[in-house]
Amino acid sequence: MSGRYEPDSIIGRVVNEIEETAIAVLLGLMTLITFINVVLRYGFNTGLIWGLEATTFLFAWLVVFGVSYAVKVTANLGVDALINLFSPPVRRVLALLAAAICIAYAFLLFKGAWDYWANFANLPKTTGRWFPTGLEEMKRTSYRGWYEVIDIPMPEWLRWIEPLMNEGESYEKIPRFIPYFILPFGMALLLFRFVQAGLRIWRGDQASLIVSHEAEDAVEDVAHMNRGD
Amino acid sequence: MEVAILFAMVVGLMLIGVPIAVSLGFSSTIFLLVLSDTSLASIAQSFFQAMAGHYTLLAIPFFILASSFMSTGGVARRIIRFSIAIVGHFPGGLAIAGVFACMLFAALSGSSPATVVAIGSIVIAGMRQVGYSRDFAAGVIANAGTLGILIPPSIVMVVYASATDVSVGRMFLAGVIPGLMAGTMLMTTIYIIAKFRNLPKGEWLGWGEVFEAGADAGWGLFLIVIILGGIYGGIFTPTEAAAVAAVYAFFISCFVYRDMGPLARPDGERNLSLMRKPIALVTAFFHRDTRDTLFEAGKLTVTLMFIIANALILKHVLTDEQIPQSIAAAMLDAGLEWWAFLIIVNIILLIGGQFMEPSGLIVIVAPLVFPIAIELGIDPIHLGIIMVVNMEIGMITPPVGLNLFVTSGVAGMPMMRVVRAALPFLAVLFVFLILITYIPWLSTYLPTTFMGPEIITN
Amino acid sequence: ACDDGEIVIKFSHVTNSDRHPKGIAATLLQERVNAEMDGTACMEVFPNSTLYNDDQVLEAMLQGDVQLAAPSLSKFEQFTKTFRLFDLPFMFKNIDAVDEFQNSETGQAMKESMTRRGLLGLQFWHNGMKQMSANKPLIEPSDANGLKFRVQNSDVLKAQMAALGGSPQPMAFSEVYGALQTGVVDGQENTWSNIYGQKFFEVQDGITETNHGIIDYLLVTNVDWWESLDADVRDQLATIMAEVTETRNAASFEVNQQNRQAIIDAGGTVRELTGEQRAKWVEVMKPVWEQFTDDVGQENIDAAQAINAKH
Ligand code: NA
Ligand code: NA
Repeated sequence: MSGRYEPDSIIGRVVNEIEETAIAVLLGLMTLITFINVVLRYGFNTGLIWGLEATTFLFAWLVVFGVSYAVKVTANLGVDALINLFSPPVRRVLALLAAAICIAYAFLLFKGAWDYWANFANLPKTTGRWFPTGLEEMKRTSYRGWYEVIDIPMPEWLRWIEPLMNEGESYEKIPRFIPYFILPFGMALLLFRFVQAGLRIWRGDQASLIVSHEAEDAVEDVAHMNRGD
Repeated sequence: MEVAILFAMVVGLMLIGVPIAVSLGFSSTIFLLVLSDTSLASIAQSFFQAMAGHYTLLAIPFFILASSFMSTGGVARRIIRFSIAIVGHFPGGLAIAGVFACMLFAALSGSSPATVVAIGSIVIAGMRQVGYSRDFAAGVIANAGTLGILIPPSIVMVVYASATDVSVGRMFLAGVIPGLMAGTMLMTTIYIIAKFRNLPKGEWLGWGEVFEAGADAGWGLFLIVIILGGIYGGIFTPTEAAAVAAVYAFFISCFVYRDMGPLARPDGERNLSLMRKPIALVTAFFHRDTRDTLFEAGKLTVTLMFIIANALILKHVLTDEQIPQSIAAAMLDAGLEWWAFLIIVNIILLIGGQFMEPSGLIVIVAPLVFPIAIELGIDPIHLGIIMVVNMEIGMITPPVGLNLFVTSGVAGMPMMRVVRAALPFLAVLFVFLILITYIPWLSTYLPTTFMGPEIITN
Repeated sequence: ACDDGEIVIKFSHVTNSDRHPKGIAATLLQERVNAEMDGTACMEVFPNSTLYNDDQVLEAMLQGDVQLAAPSLSKFEQFTKTFRLFDLPFMFKNIDAVDEFQNSETGQAMKESMTRRGLLGLQFWHNGMKQMSANKPLIEPSDANGLKFRVQNSDVLKAQMAALGGSPQPMAFSEVYGALQTGVVDGQENTWSNIYGQKFFEVQDGITETNHGIIDYLLVTNVDWWESLDADVRDQLATIMAEVTETRNAASFEVNQQNRQAIIDAGGTVRELTGEQRAKWVEVMKPVWEQFTDDVGQENIDAAQAINAKH
């Protein structure tokens, strides 16, 4: 496809392939689990009781992981009506300002994601309301490794984490720190990609952080049919 | 006062080129940190739970995926052929067929831009070949494409249902009559213009062509039966319907139309039959085309959900500061009549639609207006349809309109020319909006008939 | 909004604020705290899941982002398995037995059983006894065989439906009405007030008065926050909570009977069971207890049964 992101190094291509395949696989799994559950319920009067919860987690993984990819390939929607009216130097200043805001946003969300996830993994949150000023002193409520999800059963091959995370008590369902791990991971990637994008704008390799509408790639693919008079 | 600053900040950030999602999320985060004692952890939780905690929104990726398979797999082409066979011989026939094709594709797809891309790219080229002006063609398609969110399924309706806890199934049913009506109004307008301006009309190709084209398109169109029949026939929930639609679309494109996947052959060559290559039943799941379609749909889901998740953070601010209650109290104390309230809703949405992606806008506006609407005795389903129609109009009004962008891209003409071209039909949609706003029956008749009167349980 | 210097108490719940038993109790609590503790404390109630749903709210509470919540008892499974006691079918004969058990030594101890995980139970709030409904008459337990039931997310309730030969289906609450109507699921179990409030009776053949279980709530707080309060503030809050609980719990039976009557008045069918029929339901569902005895503790079951025998 013409609007497709083309990485310029071998490592870049490998990483890109991994990212795109991950997005495809997550969406494919969501669809399959949901579909299988319909078949099981309607056809066989049964179902995977954990299917719904697993699908919602995959959905969260898809989006939380995917946002950094969307930044990398500049796929996020924005409004360019006003910035198009300015001269290129002004536009560049605005784009740098926008990048700074995006970096600040990703930074705050990354801190929030860590603080949210850490206790589920028996790790300390950061202190400080805006900026991390240190690590909390662990108290009784800071250990939440025991906190399980609602439906997804604990697989046998994961039992080795029980002594590490749950004082040796066995898990009935998987602990929450597993599905929630995507949050700090995804937000760290998002921060990284926004910093990269900011640098590209600084160097003049990229003009802005946005596309003006959601179907831009698809439009490019078909636009040739109506070019010329 | 604080709210005004919040909204000014959101709009200001958008205008300097910050992505919509970040504008919403960053402004809301700053507000929560300054005004309330909410922690950053809680904001991260909101972000994650936008997906993990909203079962209804799960329908969005599935409908996007179904639509992607349909676009890649050659359904649009077949729908257009069928439409031409049916209405192509009227004055303005190809334009009318374009609208008709948009209506059919809208019944398979949940989004408006997707409808414009799928149908517009082919129909606009076709119309120009038989002598229509490029402007007329673009104007028709930009408008008809907006039906994508009115005729079920509809991503915007899913978001509305999720934001207000009404049933998705009801919203879908509610869109049927308005969708058919808007399409008919557009087609009638073209017919009248065609009579006056003597626009080209096609040949009647005979019933044979109607049936043959119908049979060919039928595999794709059967999806309508699956979605609506499945939901109202008690086989699956609306969310599951979307997943089933995606799986069905995959099978149709890979094994029936074979325009994608292991059985596809380059342009001009006959696609392989499954008999010739039965292994395709397995390889189709891992074929590059399948992966690419999943990936494209996934990417679109990500950008859309990024906006919705951040809009939900903004909603968190509004809830936390109890804004909906104060606005509701102020409006009700002012003795607002229901019709005046609906005008205000129309205006808010038309202005908001200039900056925001429709789903994100619904997430923010629905909680603000919903409680007032209930107090004033407005049916929640009716309110939902009004909001959807407003979104449609927002998509084709300058300065910012999703469908305008897409049409200008697809038609290869400047935005302002598309705007002018769309104007006469936009007038039709405005009349339509007024009808929808003040005749609740149009929206509520089908859901009430099939599902009983709407209950407000909250 | 709250004044400066007041202790802000955020209370997030998932029902309406003026018709549902929990919503009414929360509203009453808010009114009394804001009137009697003005200047000291200020309560903000967020109804209708506008801030958090029942699962998220407990996470938010441990994080310190919300101070009060009242999820249904089955939502505490992750904190302590002893709460599975309340989901076991036919554990209690009626709401009076439930009430007496909750106020007994064993019941009161359960409120404090989650402190090691950060939660402190303050009060039990009644909704009422659960009834069963489906798209066909349920008279004998075998009538439920092969039916799909929407249940709350709880292992006990899933096991209970499986014992009936039914298939348990988890489902978002907002989708239940539509799913019952179209037949995606065949039946559900709920209290009279929920069945009337959600209009489930409109899309079911009838409601069978099984009284087979309970739906109650636990008013719960973050134990660290609670202990951080000044003793006199804490005592005053606790007193108001106890009084509100007594008033609303006393009214809960009445509310459910009114809703039961309202269902009949609206044309819904209510089926009563004979003693013999009910015994059959007990016989089929009670074996579920065995699966969960280890979780709940035999001594707790015994205590509950001792109280039950008096009613
Ligand atoms: Na549609
Ligand atoms: Na617009």
